Amino acid sequence: MIRTGRERWVQREPIENMALGDAWKQLSWFYYQYVLVTALYMLEPWERTIFNSLLITVAAMAVYTGYVFMPQHIMAILHYFEVVQ
Amino acid sequence: VFYCVSECDFGKDRSSGLNWCVGRGCLGNHHASCTSLYKKPFVESFEETPLLVAVLTYMGYGILTIFGYLRDFLRDWKFEKCHLAREREEQKDFVPLYQDFENFYTRNLYMRIRDNWNRPIHSVPGAKMDLVERVTPDYNWTFEHTGKVLKDVINMGSYNYLGFAENTGTCADAASECTVKYGVGVCSSRQETGNLDKHEELEKLVARFLGVESSMVFGMGFATNSMNIPALMGKGCLILSDELNHASLVLGARLSGATIRVFKHNNMQSLEKLLWDAVVHGQPRTHRPWKKILILVEGIYSMEGSIVRLPEIIALKKKYKAYLYLDEAHSIGALGPRGRGVVDYFGLDPCDIDIMMGTFTKSFGSAGGYIGGKKDLVDYLRLHSHSAVYATSMSPPITQQIITSMKCIMGEDGTTLGQERLCQLSENTTYFRRRLHEMGFIIYGNNDSPVVPLMLYMPAKIGAFGREMLKRNIGTVVVGFPATPIIESRARFCVSAAHTREMLDTALNAISEVGDLLQLKYSRKNRHGREGTDLFSYLESHQD
Repeated sequence: MIRTGRERWVQREPIENMALGDAWKQLSWFYYQYVLVTALYMLEPWERTIFNSLLITVAAMAVYTGYVFMPQHIMAILHYFEVVQ
Repeated sequence: VFYCVSECDFGKDRSSGLNWCVGRGCLGNHHASCTSLYKKPFVESFEETPLLVAVLTYMGYGILTIFGYLRDFLRDWKFEKCHLAREREEQKDFVPLYQDFENFYTRNLYMRIRDNWNRPIHSVPGAKMDLVERVTPDYNWTFEHTGKVLKDVINMGSYNYLGFAENTGTCADAASECTVKYGVGVCSSRQETGNLDKHEELEKLVARFLGVESSMVFGMGFATNSMNIPALMGKGCLILSDELNHASLVLGARLSGATIRVFKHNNMQSLEKLLWDAVVHGQPRTHRPWKKILILVEGIYSMEGSIVRLPEIIALKKKYKAYLYLDEAHSIGALGPRGRGVVDYFGLDPCDIDIMMGTFTKSFGSAGGYIGGKKDLVDYLRLHSHSAVYATSMSPPITQQIITSMKCIMGEDGTTLGQERLCQLSENTTYFRRRLHEMGFIIYGNNDSPVVPLMLYMPAKIGAFGREMLKRNIGTVVVGFPATPIIESRARFCVSAAHTREMLDTALNAISEVGDLLQLKYSRKNRHGREGTDLFSYLESHQD
């Protein structure tokens, strides 16, 4: 927002972009914290790429496994506790 | 006089509000009935590392180690250019000249954030300094100067406690007059033709300053320790040295060939146990009594900011008949109402300490070291110390700088400048420490010590802190392994009498900003205006 000479507040960006801008700032702050805590801050960009790819691969595999097997596991648990036959 | 060995311990950290009591059989809370050896409260705190932070720090080091192995593999198999020292091709089959694994930490962790150290300074390192800007095209293996100079960087790293590092004023004028008269080099060792009348004048002045019979000065502080301890100790002697002693003391102790036993940092029970064992059991295997027992301590420990518990050590030394070697490198000129160091700070008698050692690098804005004590001791050292016999003696302008600054501190130059600087330093120290504590950082050390270590813990934050502070025009010193334990890396601030309140406020605001950005405010203790906002601080505040 910018302030005009006549004390009226004028909105520069549309409201959706501002929320996006704030979300982007928040996300990049979180990414900065992640990079500091895992010491990726000290590594060169290609090393960061390797680490992030590995991490995302492992996380994706975990999510996929969960997606495939969760219904079976939940049915087994409910069967064990005799909630459903 | 007997001593009880219980010590009060509040809450989680080892902050001791209390001291020893003179009387047998006291246990637990015995504050009201003690007469203490300390004339004022001795408040030190070393807050414990938060568990989550410790785990994440280890994880960070683990990731860096894995990538270090990867890079070493690439370097070995020639996928990547190797910048390190390597043997020539013809010598590949010989015994290796360079120790590869020993330098693992240096080439894989230190090199990545090397731009925080060895920064070239383009002016006198006073309260503000000029830094040469550097860029690195290949991730810190080589540096290039851009030609630009960063002006007026607030200097929070130099050991400039009383602000004598200046290029204008009486000290600088006197030093330049001395250069005009004596030249710069001495061209000889002290024993041959290197003994100037300025050195004798300085030695008499130092002896008067410390309150001892006689003193001797050397050209280098590190060499004072490492060359004089071997002259005093030998085989069959016992050295009891503090855990966190400086490298020069450790080197001197090892060179002497005496047996070295280490006691826990500033822990009087540990020291007493070692002394008791030494006197009762004597030397190992033969059980003969030790020839000499020397207790080796420092005045202010520069990595912790803690002050030695001198009254208790002197009481122990008298009881067990040991000698005391006190290294006042950081505390001389910086502690005490008259600036005479730890002895003045505790109000003790300088005759109780057998060997008083110190350096002129910190509070006097110069270079070199001294040893003070009884006349017999100093005369013996003049003949038997390696530093006196072989090392070049102190340069004349440096000697004159010390003479002028010491006279200023003692008030003998006719002004109250020295006393003003001492007061300014202690005010600055108290203010700086209080504000940092209120902001929520973990600060180690004694409330009166001008050395302020601020804990960073994580390896990436070491580099990030140094760089972010430089962006805000403040020069800081960050320290990691091996100078500190692996997870306890820190930023070390040295408060100076030359810092004005505005400079300290600027620095503190920048530190707070960087602390929020890097999430460094780990402290769980009560802070100003934040009491009881979370369960832990509520419980802690109601525990004592």
